[in-house]
Amino acid sequence: MITPLPIDAPATPSPVAPGRPARSYWQQATARLRRNRIGVASGLVLLFFVLVAVLSPLLAAIFTHTDPRSIDLLNTFLPPLSPHHILGTDDLGRDELTRMFYGAQVSMGIGFLAVGVALTIGAGVGLVAGYYGGLIDGLLMRFVDIILAVPAIFLFILMSILFKPNTITLALIIASVGWGSIARLVRGEVLSVRTRDFMMATSSLGASDFRLIFRHLLPNVLHVLIVFGSLYLGQVVLIEAALDFLGLGISPATPSWGNMLTNSETFFFHSSWLVIWPGVTIFVTVLAANLFGNAIRDAFDPRLR
Amino acid sequence: MAGPLLELRDLRTQFFTPEGVVKAVDGVSLELHPGETLGIVGESGSGKSVTALSVMRLQRPGKIVGGEVRFKGRDLTKLSEVEMREIRGQEIAMIFQDPMTSLNPVFRTGWQVAEPVRLHSGWDKARAMGVAVSMLNKVGIPAPEKRARDYPHQFSGGMRQRAMIAMGLTTTPKVLIADEPTTALDVTIQAQILDLLRHVNREFGTATILITHNLGVVAGMCERVMVMYAGRIVESGPTVDVFAHPKHPYTWSLLRSIPRLDEDRHEPLKPIEGLPPDLINLPSGCAFHPRCQFKVERCSRDVPALTPVGDTQLAACWVTQSGVELKGA
Repeated sequence: MITPLPIDAPATPSPVAPGRPARSYWQQATARLRRNRIGVASGLVLLFFVLVAVLSPLLAAIFTHTDPRSIDLLNTFLPPLSPHHILGTDDLGRDELTRMFYGAQVSMGIGFLAVGVALTIGAGVGLVAGYYGGLIDGLLMRFVDIILAVPAIFLFILMSILFKPNTITLALIIASVGWGSIARLVRGEVLSVRTRDFMMATSSLGASDFRLIFRHLLPNVLHVLIVFGSLYLGQVVLIEAALDFLGLGISPATPSWGNMLTNSETFFFHSSWLVIWPGVTIFVTVLAANLFGNAIRDAFDPRLR
Repeated sequence: MAGPLLELRDLRTQFFTPEGVVKAVDGVSLELHPGETLGIVGESGSGKSVTALSVMRLQRPGKIVGGEVRFKGRDLTKLSEVEMREIRGQEIAMIFQDPMTSLNPVFRTGWQVAEPVRLHSGWDKARAMGVAVSMLNKVGIPAPEKRARDYPHQFSGGMRQRAMIAMGLTTTPKVLIADEPTTALDVTIQAQILDLLRHVNREFGTATILITHNLGVVAGMCERVMVMYAGRIVESGPTVDVFAHPKHPYTWSLLRSIPRLDEDRHEPLKPIEGLPPDLINLPSGCAFHPRCQFKVERCSRDVPALTPVGDTQLAACWVTQSGVELKGA
């Protein structure tokens, strides 16, 4: 028959067979990510650009001894590997390497700010819409549909005209369009997590809606945010470069990879390096962001293993 | 004995669907006394779970359209959401059917067991964790300090249900509602969990409502039992009497449709003919009459009320109320 439970057993720890240490979903996912060589490499490339952006004044002081805006009309169009100008100079004699350092500030700054803002708004809207459902869900999602139905480039152009773009406004402009897709993704995930029993179990403990949404639901949809965020970073860098290229982005005085490309397009045939440096850098950054995003998705989605 | 701890009066919960109004709970009244164990049995869709969820006001998207849920002199259906949160988890706790999905996979088990303490007492993490660990120990989880740091996926089904019970009891609630606590577990683990619930009932004096479709569980656990059919209570009384002399044809049929160890094994089981009724279009009169082999003309006309039949039982049946004994071929 049934043996009585050791319900009054003393609270002394009983010997436990040594096993694998407790590993959470996150620890497992990061372990999987670390095994993905392309993922690690592209992550390091992104990290490199972030460091360049953060340290650009220092790097300029150490390597190029010049200011990104200092004009030297006696030394225009110097080719790469010229003395004091490793990557050459542009049509106004400004040092390309210095401008590349500072351009990283704009691209990475806008990239991370836009991703952060878009994720925050998108996650908030998606969580609330998915959790409450009904009318709230309907209203929020129709609003998202409207935003996503308007061609994004049109919205960017419109807002760039309305708001004078600087690093922060440009990031907000890009994020104001990007949050829609995130909200949709998060809402879809919430709809499936919400019906799981632990949500009901947790509300039966007396947890508030706020706690249910942000303490219990959010960690369960975080993987969606991380994956989308890293893929979206590449998109933002590309959008920012495109807006700069169209003359709707950062003002031309501030060096950014995008407007370096614009300024140099007319000189492509006699000074191709002026196009190649920013072009290749944008390409590498976006590629790294996409590969890193893919690696994260593979690591976090248990179904893809 | 003092008055009932929890009292439901004519509770009605309905779901408004495009196809029509689903009367999931249609006038349920019951009393739960301190320290007692009450069983609610019925087949799927009979309204047992919705009754329990309505007590906690977690019946969304259903609506409580009538009746009262009196707990400690207050009507829970009238409380604000904030007041209700104080009741949930502190005064009334609930255990759910599927322990595999009832724990949040992203948090350590100890953290979750400690959650009701933190929600209701304002204690810090370490102190709440201490309660959680001692409670995990009480529900028979070995090396509780270690296991508290494990994630739910590292627990077996039976251990997760123990953890759920521990979570429900950390705040020493007055009422524990166990909604099919053993259905998702295999038979030996079922026995252990029921044993644990009995211990818990004795040690903490928690009044328990045990919801199940398993008559064997009720027989072993509950002093009183209520049988639900189509959102109504059709029979109630002391478990011994209800099982020995069912006074409602549905109970009678249910008992004959399960195998018994103490009877002739060569007799085939007799399933209840027909299907459970459509809760949107309930049959006229007694909801069970289309499947009932004792039905009389009146059954399809008038709805029978729950009235005393015999010394200890209540039944909602015109046939037994008129004094007819249920005997079958």
